[in-house]
Amino acid sequence: MTLLRFGRLDVTLDGSRAILAGRLDDSALLGPLLGQLPEGPITLDTAAIWFVNSIGMREWTRLVRGLRARGSQITLERVADVLMTQMNLVSELAGAVAIVSFHAQYLCGGCGAEHTQLVEVAPHAQALRMLAPPKLPCPECGAAMELGDFPERYLTIFK
Amino acid sequence: MKPSGGSRERLVVAHPERKAQRALQRLVGASLCPVEIVTDIASLCAAVDRDAIAVVDSGLARAMPDLCTRPARAWIAVPGEGLAAAQADGVTELLAAGWRHVIAHPMPVLAEELLATVQKLVRADVFGLEKYVAWGAEVRSYALEDARDRDDAVTALAKDVVAVGLPERIGSLVSVIADELLANAIYAAPVDDAGTRYRSGDARDQPRPLADRERVTVRWATDARYLAIEVRDRWGSIEPHAIAPRLAEAGKGKIGEGGGMGLALAYACCNQLVIGCAPRELTEVIALVDVRYKPTELGRAGSFHAFTGKPV
Repeated sequence: MTLLRFGRLDVTLDGSRAILAGRLDDSALLGPLLGQLPEGPITLDTAAIWFVNSIGMREWTRLVRGLRARGSQITLERVADVLMTQMNLVSELAGAVAIVSFHAQYLCGGCGAEHTQLVEVAPHAQALRMLAPPKLPCPECGAAMELGDFPERYLTIFK
Repeated sequence: MKPSGGSRERLVVAHPERKAQRALQRLVGASLCPVEIVTDIASLCAAVDRDAIAVVDSGLARAMPDLCTRPARAWIAVPGEGLAAAQADGVTELLAAGWRHVIAHPMPVLAEELLATVQKLVRADVFGLEKYVAWGAEVRSYALEDARDRDDAVTALAKDVVAVGLPERIGSLVSVIADELLANAIYAAPVDDAGTRYRSGDARDQPRPLADRERVTVRWATDARYLAIEVRDRWGSIEPHAIAPRLAEAGKGKIGEGGGMGLALAYACCNQLVIGCAPRELTEVIALVDVRYKPTELGRAGSFHAFTGKPV
């Protein structure tokens, strides 16, 4: 296992899997990370990224572009909510990555709770392509929670 | 007896539906300016001159997007189809055509936004977040003394927001918006006499005192309807006419690597983005996040306004 730091972004490398945590911002220049990631398929877990700004998004897009240019298949697991919504603003990323699961804001019509929920893609793949997010149980009252935002903000990347 | 108040500014409302016409007439009529109602583009073009403020149904606006290039005090697009939220594609189309005022949201947000916009134009008083939040809301301000204060200001603002009881989701949006607007004010706004943005290539981790003309302030307030974030710099170098088309590009998923990406991201995170510019003197960007409604109850695309004026 290798620990790397890019500005305020921590990267833990474990074989073909990398866990990213922290801020994807001006300080996280990811060019050198490309050289550190192994050849072949790569899985990126971004659940612990909690801030992304426009420069961070630019770096992320360049990283994805670099990995694809060398032929790596990119799988994203547990995509952070803040990264997911911003990836949906960049049409270039649609089809460039395979998303296994992502976080999204959910609202409970029953008790009014707001929670970040993890959405598994495989069981809902067809619905997600049609911009139809699944309902998920509320952790507070058990009622069905609904996506708390426009589906386009999370699901355009699946179309 | 002579009444007080009221302006002789002329407003022209163009909407094909009678019910929407009535609603809009009452809204803008609150400015006490005379209001003329028309139903189609030909009548609109005949009624609007360089002194008129035109309030136009987005359906009509989309049918003739270059209306906004005709002489008028301002062209304001409002939601069509019974004043329901504007379609995101329609907003993007109007921004691409260069409309400086595009309102995306249904009532009652429409009412608040339209009246504030009209009064800013009528009174030639275009700056300040106070115009968007209720009188009782406390405004908190942070002045950055160094470029590296940006992170601290963003963190403080996000903490403030969560401390007043707003959800983490709003705190997260506020962080992105404030960070982008501050970065623009610190690095993109400074221009030299030749118009070169000489700070744009600065390393973002380097100290730089922000004094005199380089002063940057961020203010915020909430009235439990809106959360308003306002960032000001003293350069007045933003190009209001160029912003809308850039936001439109972002609306089409074309956020790229060039300039303007930060503003596009801030726009994507808020419900209303308001630019104010006094050339060579002041730039003010206000982002409004609606904290009353579920996001899906509003327009998917945000509203946009770009004003040019002098501080009063």
